[in-house]
Amino acid sequence: MSLIIVKNATCTFCGCVCDDIELHADGEKIVETKRACSLGESWFKHHTAERLYPDALIDGHPATVDDAVERAADYLVAADMPLVYGLSNVTCETQREAVSLAELVGGVIDSHTSL
Amino acid sequence: MLRIKGGKVYDPANNINGVIKDICMDNGKIVADVDGGRTLDATGRIIFPGGVDIHTHVAGAALNFARAMTPENQRAASKFMHTADTRAGIGGPTPTTFATGYLYAGMGYTTVVEAAVPILSAKHTHEELRDTPIVDKACCLLMANNEIVMDLLEKGEHERAKDVVAWLVWAAKAYGVKAVNPGGVTAWKFGKDAKVMSEPVPGYSSITPAQIVSGLAKIIDELGLPHPLHLHCNNLGAPGNVATTLETMKVLEGNRAHMAHLQFHSYGGDDWHTFRSEATQIADYFNKHKNLTCDAGAVLFGNAVTITADGPWQHLLYQLTGRKWGNLDVENETGCGIVPYTYKGSNLVNAVQWAGGLELLLLIDDPWRIFLTTDHPNGACFWRYPEIIHLLMHADVRKERVKKLPAKALSRIVLGDLDRQYSLYEIAIITSAGPARALGLKQKGHLGIGADADITIFNENPDGELMFRYPRYVIKSGEIVVEEGDIKNPHDGREFVVKPAYDPKIEDFLRPLFQQVYTMSFENYPVELERVHGIEVAEPKNSHG
Amino acid sequence: MIYWGGNPAECHPRHFTKYSLTQKGKFIPNGRKDRTMVLVDIRETPSAKAADLFLQVRPGKDFELVTVLRAVVKGQRVDEASVAETGITMDQVNDLVAQMKAARFGVIFFGMGVSMTRGKHMNSAAILMLAAEMNAFTKFVAMPMRGHGNVTGSDVVMRYTTGYPFGVSLSRGYPRFNPGEFSTVDLLVRGDIDACLVLGADPGATMPQPAIDHMARVPTIVLDPKVTHTSRLARVHITTAVTGVSAPGTVYRMDEVPLPLRPALKSPYPTDEEVVRRIREAVKRRPAWLPQRNGKAVG
Repeated sequence: MSLIIVKNATCTFCGCVCDDIELHADGEKIVETKRACSLGESWFKHHTAERLYPDALIDGHPATVDDAVERAADYLVAADMPLVYGLSNVTCETQREAVSLAELVGGVIDSHTSL
Repeated sequence: MLRIKGGKVYDPANNINGVIKDICMDNGKIVADVDGGRTLDATGRIIFPGGVDIHTHVAGAALNFARAMTPENQRAASKFMHTADTRAGIGGPTPTTFATGYLYAGMGYTTVVEAAVPILSAKHTHEELRDTPIVDKACCLLMANNEIVMDLLEKGEHERAKDVVAWLVWAAKAYGVKAVNPGGVTAWKFGKDAKVMSEPVPGYSSITPAQIVSGLAKIIDELGLPHPLHLHCNNLGAPGNVATTLETMKVLEGNRAHMAHLQFHSYGGDDWHTFRSEATQIADYFNKHKNLTCDAGAVLFGNAVTITADGPWQHLLYQLTGRKWGNLDVENETGCGIVPYTYKGSNLVNAVQWAGGLELLLLIDDPWRIFLTTDHPNGACFWRYPEIIHLLMHADVRKERVKKLPAKALSRIVLGDLDRQYSLYEIAIITSAGPARALGLKQKGHLGIGADADITIFNENPDGELMFRYPRYVIKSGEIVVEEGDIKNPHDGREFVVKPAYDPKIEDFLRPLFQQVYTMSFENYPVELERVHGIEVAEPKNSHG
Repeated sequence: MIYWGGNPAECHPRHFTKYSLTQKGKFIPNGRKDRTMVLVDIRETPSAKAADLFLQVRPGKDFELVTVLRAVVKGQRVDEASVAETGITMDQVNDLVAQMKAARFGVIFFGMGVSMTRGKHMNSAAILMLAAEMNAFTKFVAMPMRGHGNVTGSDVVMRYTTGYPFGVSLSRGYPRFNPGEFSTVDLLVRGDIDACLVLGADPGATMPQPAIDHMARVPTIVLDPKVTHTSRLARVHITTAVTGVSAPGTVYRMDEVPLPLRPALKSPYPTDEEVVRRIREAVKRRPAWLPQRNGKAVG
């Protein structure tokens, strides 16, 4: 498979968020990084597009995303005080959706900042 | 389709002054007539084109920093409940984005201009504007302390500077260009300021604030941008700054310019003890020079948060008040300072500032050239505009308020002697028709055929504050969005963006410079088109090659 | 340039070279040679090699040292015994203050060694005050060295949507903020929470045990590219694409500059954004929760 080269890619490993990284990818894996630091390089090479995990798990058993989404919605709706937590390693677009979800279920939303 | 029947219409752009007539709309636009659809009976009510705020700070990195700095304000502010239709939010001096949309629409305003956007964080501004519902939006880009632009102006490379400015406007998906304390924010990198128009900016060999102002104003005019240079003069807030402001206005002769929050630039005196209003002197000059428009930047007593790219001024304010101070330096482009502030009726300086804004609104004789703003949230919160409208419409109310000012203030102001009273027609000009015209937004600020169907319907009330605070209906893009204070079916507004002409080769000039002095990749700098929701692009003709 | 309680050489490896110490600039043509770097930390980390001056503060004495510096900056008298407690000598303090005042543009980068140790936000506040007060003499700023990826973005997004940066309760239908009351560890340890959605984090690996125990007691949902420690105690796990590697979007640098992602891989899994949106849509298909006032839904 031919290599895909992405220039000016952004590394999200640490708070520096360097955006000058060059990535060489073979479709499933990133095989080379340029300008990334050692932390960034291992971050990029460590995460692949392989299917290593089930799409979803419900009570520890493989499940479809559709079923898992419905189950998640059931739990969040049934709860009096649901918590949405984390938000570090996701995009702003995800965070924006997460705030909207927390509002919809009348919950608490919080991030690593509170630690 | 919607017909508004029987209302008394104030549509100054079409010379309609309190005429009872039907207004029809279809597909979000005003049309001559409609056959069918809903009819809204507005008999006995007042009809205005939707309000247009030409200068406000409602979205962006600086405002969002201010939100972080002032949780105590949020705690005390009005709350917006989550409902089936609307998002939760918080009002106060730095409202959340959803609340901002609801507050503006609730007051009958349907278009707002975010006045200060650094290119480096323009993506963030557009993200916030996306979540500011109902109102249409545009933003002005900070340029007068951009080191690349300044270097070119210093070298006299006018044509190249023009291409860079045009490229930057499009890269940031902006509508206009704002200059804040030209050269002064750059000087602030060394803890200095640029207070004299004709002296070189600290750190530069020859370029002066006057050259930055005139250079940018000329570039904007030559690029044919719909809105002229949006200018925050040097020396904001300082006693005696009237001299700087007059000098700046002289520099602008031959070009268009919009003088932002003029109240903050109209002071006499040598220090805080001799501080006085020089609105009369400013208005005299301004009235004679038709190339200029301005907004008031009026002050009301109470809590505010001062947020401005004017870094050195904010440091001074921090030292004066001892309150919280936030400072942001935006690489090679601009900076920002944030200081919470309380305007007190008992304070001499604040009393003069309060009077000064009203004086300008009353002394500048052409309502088409001065617009209602508070430089939100600097002078007061935007949702307090109705208080100012009431004062403009009633000289007796003003005179009573003047009597309550500190005795020392009375010799520093002329407000008590002014008898002018605004008519509803003039209020419609300073809140809608005038700012829309100054912005070059032809579809806004009027109710002629083809205009955007943005309409505010008021119950007539001698108490202007009550009348303008609670419109009976607000219609945005032909849909009723506010009914008796309740938000109905809020939708997303649009964003107006300008794409001026430039030589694409300018990127070859910018790229290497960028790699030297910026921390971001050149390719990641421009705001992607898909990031701007509801984008509407205008492409002005470059008048000089 | 003062790094305080941080170890950029190991935690933010490109901070020196790409952003701060060695970059040449218009007004600093010689880069590193034109700058002075000071490291303040409780131990001599690899970052000390990059520093012109290393000051070893005693553990837990950061607040005291900042307070001494603030006093000396303003020319106030300080008690030598109090200075000695910080592990730094009076001469070192005087020398540091003189260098700070002589700078044209000073900056303090403070890390988790300041903000997450004894004194916590009090330490950060003291450093911010020191930087603010330095402006009476020369230009000075301070900036936190934020850790993981897009934690900065979560502050930014929550601020413009809710008015507050983190720990926001929407249980009354409008945003409320009270760290300690609405912060995750406190909520979990007190057992206030009765369902938990975790994304972009693995608290099951890092939080205090009582908090983890509570997450296991209530229905917990995890979105993550991997099956994590938290996934193992959760009722629901959904595998998602990796932010920046196979999921597009925006992240914020620690100085709140937004940057676009350019993913190089195409994931077989949906993005976090898509999954959260789908959960939100699924919630919307169920009977709505609306805030109550006097027993009636508002709005």
